[in-house]
Amino acid sequence: MTESEALKWVTELFQEPSILTPELLRDGVKAWDSLGVLILIAALDDDFDIMVSDDEVERIRSVGDILDVLRRNGKLN
Amino acid sequence: MPVTSARAATIRGITTSVPSRRFDNLADTSEFSKEDVEKVVRMAGVRTRHLADDATCSSDLCLAAARDLLASLEWKPESIDALILVTQSPDYFLPSTSCLVHRDLGLSDSCATFDVGLGCSGYPYGLWLATLMLEKTGFRRALVLHGETPTRFSDRSDRSVALLFGDAGSATALESAGDEGSRQWWFSLNTDGAGWHDLVIEGGGFRDRFPEDRRKTFVSMNGAGIFNFTIRRVPRLIEDTLHAAGIPRDLVDYFIFHQSNQFIMRHLANKTGLPESKMPFTIAEFGSTGGPSIPLTITKGDLARPSDRPLQLLMLGYGVGLSWASALVDLPANAVLNHTVYRGAEARV
Repeated sequence: MTESEALKWVTELFQEPSILTPELLRDGVKAWDSLGVLILIAALDDDFDIMVSDDEVERIRSVGDILDVLRRNGKLN
Repeated sequence: MPVTSARAATIRGITTSVPSRRFDNLADTSEFSKEDVEKVVRMAGVRTRHLADDATCSSDLCLAAARDLLASLEWKPESIDALILVTQSPDYFLPSTSCLVHRDLGLSDSCATFDVGLGCSGYPYGLWLATLMLEKTGFRRALVLHGETPTRFSDRSDRSVALLFGDAGSATALESAGDEGSRQWWFSLNTDGAGWHDLVIEGGGFRDRFPEDRRKTFVSMNGAGIFNFTIRRVPRLIEDTLHAAGIPRDLVDYFIFHQSNQFIMRHLANKTGLPESKMPFTIAEFGSTGGPSIPLTITKGDLARPSDRPLQLLMLGYGVGLSWASALVDLPANAVLNHTVYRGAEARV
């Protein structure tokens, strides 16, 4: 998966109208609230078979952090 | 993940009880924005909840359920050999709440009576304890009561819990199986105390007796941590229990999940390949009532019950502790399943 494909995936996950950028923090994504965190955990599990640890979840604070999770798990080129 | 078996007891009946006060999450959205409420309702799946008033404890709900059950079974109070009350919302720190229920049910002096302080995983644990008692001690009849009033320890302004919880009590009557006892029940009982902080009431106990911050007397939940724990542990809990029992999943009539959150349960169903037709949901009507959601889903989950054979049930409890447990048991075709509505003080007498 390329970075642009990953950004598209995150954008669709949070139902944002335009493509998100890696620098964007969680506060800047409306749907990324406490329920959005559950949606993200579930989607990583469903779509990529990635189970993030509690520590990892706490460290995910930006769109770029999500890309890092994908990268660490070999899902992002 | 060890799975243990015990010679099966017989479930003679289950009665559940909820407070009469019914709250519609979508009807009163004054605490949060309408949009927020609708989102939580859509995702968590909780439309209505039954709420205890300030005078109602989990013991009251359990007592109402137990009275109904004993009357339905025509069991005399003095015939009960053991009473186990599973709760994390006791009346008092001491004495054990089960002692109060023992008094109110008029049980005999020789009835073994104690509390078990477990929450979401408490029902399988309670059944396991009762089953062992009936298998090993010569006791013939046991009552397992499981009740919680989580709305009474939830902060109404905390969106992560305020719209989620409901209150419920239950009573389950078990009897030594006698000649039927060649069958086995299967239990898996597990703990990860490292996650104790994911669902906690920090204040009011002896670690912090009188917290300055009153919010510490309410429950706080790390939803992401709980969800993470659930998707790591529950699929294997199902797999290991069935593997140990040598029972293919097709032979399980129903998978009775603790009704934690519809989103989480649906994710578990997808992940484990369970058809939702075998996975009753009661969270829309009652919310998450903690561990009692398992018996509540048995009485109110519209289970199809063949008249000529028992139902094979795999019960799955998971959450606070962190603790998770399963019970693979059969529910006889003639077992009583009742549900009652608790109407308050007049019912306590």
